[in-house]
Amino acid sequence: MAILECKGLSKSYGPVRALDGVDFAVAPGRIVGLLGPNGSGKTTLIKLANGLLTPTAGQILINGQVPGIETKKVVSYLPERSCLPEWMSAAQLMGFYGDFYADFDRTTAKAMLARLNIDSKARLRHLSKGNREKVQLIMVMARRAQLYLLDEPIGGVDPAARDFILSTILSNYNPTATVIISTHLIADVERVLDDVIFISQGKVVLAAPADQLREQQGKSVDQIFREVFRC
Amino acid sequence: MLGKLMKHELWATAHAMLPIIGEMLLVAVMGNVCVRLGNGHDLPAAVNIIIMLVMVLFFVGIFAIGLVTVYMMVRRFRDNLLRDEGYIMHTLPVSVHAQIWSKVLVSALWYALAAVTIVAAVVLLTFDADTLKVIGDLFRTLFIVTRSNGQIAEIVIECLAMLVLASVTMSLSFDAALSVGHSFARHKMAASVATYIGLLILGQIALSFAARLTVMTNFYGYLDAPFVDVYAFMTYWRGICGANAGLMILEGAVCYGITAYFLKRRLNLE
Repeated sequence: MAILECKGLSKSYGPVRALDGVDFAVAPGRIVGLLGPNGSGKTTLIKLANGLLTPTAGQILINGQVPGIETKKVVSYLPERSCLPEWMSAAQLMGFYGDFYADFDRTTAKAMLARLNIDSKARLRHLSKGNREKVQLIMVMARRAQLYLLDEPIGGVDPAARDFILSTILSNYNPTATVIISTHLIADVERVLDDVIFISQGKVVLAAPADQLREQQGKSVDQIFREVFRC
Repeated sequence: MLGKLMKHELWATAHAMLPIIGEMLLVAVMGNVCVRLGNGHDLPAAVNIIIMLVMVLFFVGIFAIGLVTVYMMVRRFRDNLLRDEGYIMHTLPVSVHAQIWSKVLVSALWYALAAVTIVAAVVLLTFDADTLKVIGDLFRTLFIVTRSNGQIAEIVIECLAMLVLASVTMSLSFDAALSVGHSFARHKMAASVATYIGLLILGQIALSFAARLTVMTNFYGYLDAPFVDVYAFMTYWRGICGANAGLMILEGAVCYGITAYFLKRRLNLE
């Protein structure tokens, strides 16, 4: 069974159609790049998968279920913005995540914080913006989830931080799980992707295994992306 | 999961509310010292000014604490469920109903604590041996009266229940207004205020209908002389309480339905 499946999925904001009849399925155990320019509908798709939005038409299914309490137990979501309560410390956040998610691994989270020399007792408001984002990523990746939905995890950070983020994702995700990375910075993530989904103006324009795409077209995914989305 | 949500909600609100309550009680103690100092003593002008400032601070604090509590609870609901933190809260494996109840119950608790703080602050301000005696006498009298007539105790309990119900309804009406207002793409707070005013107007219209209905059905007609004896008064009291509780429950249920619908179906996080 597909871990994530969209069937004729559409979402409109008033007259604006953010997603238009999207159809695809993602198998378990894959790292998938959800690639598209800004405003293509990537974030809307991820919000729908998290139950933060309701589809206008069609269906989105996680493990065969519409987003709800059961699907939220198996989905680990990294929003595109920093949204942790700043009055909390990383230690308090670990308590919070541990309370609500049975799959939260506190030992892994502590080890990642220690590796980055982040004081788990310090309130988030006293940490740098970069460290706050790292704490958020640690909380997400310390779960043994079945599906990781990472919305622009490397957007707006320096190249060194991008390397850290990608290595954290690769070294901590549950190998039987699926990781969906939404981004428009293809060159940085290309090497880790098993599959790619190109999305443009709310429609899926290409969905294929990354290796197959490279072989067929004799180009990198980044080059193909630039051709597909040329202005 | 409601218990876990409430635990975190209490913790999140306590770090803001406890200092406010503590400061209010501290100002009351300072006020008490000032009252004693100023009572019949000839003090330098500077000390008199300080005493006056402490007393002003006390009375401003008494009026402000209620408003501050409401503001803190409204802000907490908005920031935690309708702004950035909403990305965390709405992806927790808990129902929207548990989210709403955790907010409403914890808000009601802080409203009750704010009321208790006001009473405690007044007691602290005026506290001396005589006050202690007056309070002791008051409780003793209350105890004797409630023992001899259980209906007084019932009235006290009903009053407290009405206060709790009123605070829950008030929380729900704020939550409903914020949920509707934040479903708009822009001017979310302005839309929330407009929704709240709209809900108030609808509430007043419903109240007018209810009042008209009581007149038309002669609901209180059998109580021409409600104060003839305690039993007649109790029947009158129950009628008033019952009607008010009914209206508040209706208003609360409507606001709860609106909040749940908008958080579930029309969530529009920034």
